[in-house]
Amino acid sequence: MDLPGPIHDFLLVFLGLGLIVGGLGVVLLTNPIFSAFSLGLVLVCTSLFHIPSNSHFVAAAQLLIYVGAINVLLVFAVMFINGSEYYKDFHLFWTVGEGVTSLVCTSIFVSLITTILDTSWYGILWTTRSNQIIEQDLINNGQQIGIHLSTDFFLPFELISIILLVSLIGAIAMARQY
Amino acid sequence: MMIEYVLVLSAYLLSIGIYGLITSRNMVRALMCLELILNAVNINFVTFSDLFDSRQLKGDVFSIFVIAIAAAEAAIGLAIVSSIHRNRKSTRINQSNLLNK
Repeated sequence: MDLPGPIHDFLLVFLGLGLIVGGLGVVLLTNPIFSAFSLGLVLVCTSLFHIPSNSHFVAAAQLLIYVGAINVLLVFAVMFINGSEYYKDFHLFWTVGEGVTSLVCTSIFVSLITTILDTSWYGILWTTRSNQIIEQDLINNGQQIGIHLSTDFFLPFELISIILLVSLIGAIAMARQY
Repeated sequence: MMIEYVLVLSAYLLSIGIYGLITSRNMVRALMCLELILNAVNINFVTFSDLFDSRQLKGDVFSIFVIAIAAAEAAIGLAIVSSIHRNRKSTRINQSNLLNK
């Protein structure tokens, strides 16, 4: 989407702050209902992140399915499962395992950042742009995804539908009262 | 400048999701951290599809597939958690040894 420059940058920084704060909140908050709501903040910010990269259909699908279905399901599960046991194991000090895990995850993060900053993305971009056709097509994003889903991704699409049907029937059969 | 920013944010989401998935004692929170990891994958798919494949957009199709798989996984995971909670009255990860006896 073509926004004027300062608004675009401000939007990106704002969404990035939302992602960082929400991601920390999912992991570090002690009450699971608060971490479910901060997961909702992360999901909304991710969905808005897809709009500047011209993927409006994916943004709408993310907002509908993740925030409207998965996050509501998680909130209902947290409310359904009794919340009195969560405060008992609250402790301020890190155990050894948490320290080792945070060290490993920080090293993964730092190595990913150095790899990202070392790669020259615009060189790759020039080599891929040069053998693409210059002509601008008239169909938009959602139409293109629909064409892909009904032609060359037809078999995975049907497999996804069967997986969804089987998993929903299995979830109902597992959560049923006997 | 845009792509490095988005990729660093996605790497941040991935690493904090792995951290929460390993250290959380509550099963529902582990499922939330799994959703964080899938979101990082989605951000990468959409960004690379817009930048390198802007005519075909096959990364968007894959991110739609990832969203559908995440929906199925959340439904199955929460059904398992509620069934364990009904049997054990607890959703701690380190106390679930139903296959043990």
